[in-house]
Amino acid sequence: MKAITLIHSHFQWMCTILGVVFSVAIHTTGWAQNKPTDQETESHQKGRPEYIVISAGYNAASFRDFATSPLFYSGSAVYTSLAHTDIDLVRESSFTASYSTGNFVADFNETDLKSKVHTFSLNFLELFQLQSLSSSSFNIKLGGQFNSTMNIRNNEKLLNNSEGVDLISTLFASAKGTLDISRKKTTEKKFLFIRYTAKKRVRKLSYTLNVGCINSSYRNGFAYTSSSAPINDDAFFSDYEFRIFRGFRINSALNYTLFMENKNAIQFSYLWDAYRTGGHHDNFEMAAHTIKCSLLFGLK
Amino acid sequence: MFTLIWFEMIKRHYLVWIALLLVGTSCENLLFDEDLASTSPHENFDYLWKECHEKYSYFELKGIDWNEVKTEYRNQLYVGMSEDSLFNVMGAMLTELKDDHANLISNFKTSFFGVEYQAQKNFDWRIIVDRYINPNFLISGSFSHNFIAGHQIGYIRLPTFSQQINPESLDYILDRYRDTEGLILDIRDNGGGAIANVFTILSRFVDTEQLVYYSRIKAGPEPNNFSPVKGAYVQPYSGIRYSKKVVVLTDRGTYSSGSLLALATKALPNMSLIGDTTGGGLGIPNGGQLPNGWRYRFSITQTLSLDQSEKFERGVPADLPVNLDWNDLTTDEILEAAIKEIL
Repeated sequence: MKAITLIHSHFQWMCTILGVVFSVAIHTTGWAQNKPTDQETESHQKGRPEYIVISAGYNAASFRDFATSPLFYSGSAVYTSLAHTDIDLVRESSFTASYSTGNFVADFNETDLKSKVHTFSLNFLELFQLQSLSSSSFNIKLGGQFNSTMNIRNNEKLLNNSEGVDLISTLFASAKGTLDISRKKTTEKKFLFIRYTAKKRVRKLSYTLNVGCINSSYRNGFAYTSSSAPINDDAFFSDYEFRIFRGFRINSALNYTLFMENKNAIQFSYLWDAYRTGGHHDNFEMAAHTIKCSLLFGLK
Repeated sequence: MFTLIWFEMIKRHYLVWIALLLVGTSCENLLFDEDLASTSPHENFDYLWKECHEKYSYFELKGIDWNEVKTEYRNQLYVGMSEDSLFNVMGAMLTELKDDHANLISNFKTSFFGVEYQAQKNFDWRIIVDRYINPNFLISGSFSHNFIAGHQIGYIRLPTFSQQINPESLDYILDRYRDTEGLILDIRDNGGGAIANVFTILSRFVDTEQLVYYSRIKAGPEPNNFSPVKGAYVQPYSGIRYSKKVVVLTDRGTYSSGSLLALATKALPNMSLIGDTTGGGLGIPNGGQLPNGWRYRFSITQTLSLDQSEKFERGVPADLPVNLDWNDLTTDEILEAAIKEIL
């Protein structure tokens, strides 16, 4: 079985490289793995751990909206999210709602235009174990994800184009690799001259890559300025246009999860998200790097 | 065997894998178009010219050959020119649009056309105060007002549409002058502001829904690529209204929302215009930024009269043209004409 590769007009080479990496991994692991037994699979499914995940973090991002400016706006934002996750070796389902807000500046040639951005995002992820590639210590899951992200931007110095709302919705193909890096037994260790006891810990390191398959955007039309103002109409979205199968989005998540004995966990994550809506007059590009800390409260 | 080696490599050197993954998948520069930030005179000129070329809404009405304008002004550029010189060239190019909604804005200067300076000035507030409403006139929100002509007419001055008009101010004013023969609404030298205020005022002077003008917006880069026209309607206010004659005073300084109100009066039988042609400015401006960070705006809509003509962008003509006589500062001839019109 070959890894799933996605060929896209502007990013074919990148996807091809990722496809090669996956292909090599699959080829070298095709006939030698430690499969979970049927009994282990069944017991996992019955008692799939469930978590409420509360996250807070910090986000560094940049964006460019060609409809109003050729300049990149960069800045930082506060990030927070709430999620519900069911996860075990065989399957993972997750629903996440996140919000970030911050100020972004185009700092070029002594101009200091500032854009205030609020970003709301809803995300649904469903992954299934790829048994042929997985083992007790290294688990690979494949599946899909749907994400809808709304940016609300305000830049007063752009006059009648000060307000902008972008709704980016994407269906992704997803792949996740989880490495069990648990410390199986308590050991004595030394750091420089300091001796300490390293207790046994359940720890996992995972990486999720999501590649956009169906991308859509709902944004201002050609003129960007609303045509409702001259006629005293409140229809803010009257000139907004929905476009599908245009643009591209890719994101990834690197998670380090430390499980407690009380079924809770703490997780440190690095998220990367980049997308562009496509088109000539109104292409919107944004990339965000997020570092967050999450508390996973085990429900069962 | 190879699988076990592969997994062992990952476990032992996971930090290396993390670094590789981060490098490989965090390079948004690979996804984005090239950075266009530039102080190059030619790049900024071309960017502004192209934006206007694709989105400005009145080239045909004003008979502007934008390609000719490009040739004339681009020849004035040279590598190494100062920012002030570049601003002068690009600002002058925008001035060719003859539109006070077309401005180039840097952090040290703003360009403008100055339509009000193309004809004589027709308003002096001191004449109004000294000779007509006296210094104990009333102020209600954005309005200054008082009785004139022996308490037969209510004079209402509105210098700007920028501040939101609150209903209580209009309630007070219209109640105070409810027994007059007519009102004079003076919007001379009113440079515009929020369009919503235009409809807030007009709603007090109609008893049924009224179509007052049409609007359409640029929908594509071709010169005549506009959206379908949409009608602008005035809804009658549910509270205090005024149904008798209303004369609106205008001049070249009446611009943007002021011109929109003036255009709307053409559709309302109880309202008329006296004074000078307005300055125009019926197109709604956009807003944008250049590669060097400067900002610009220009008109991207057309406002059309009820016969769907865009000609009033050059100015809404008064029903009774009258100019101020600056040789006699004891009389406001435009106001006198309005008083005569009502009485």
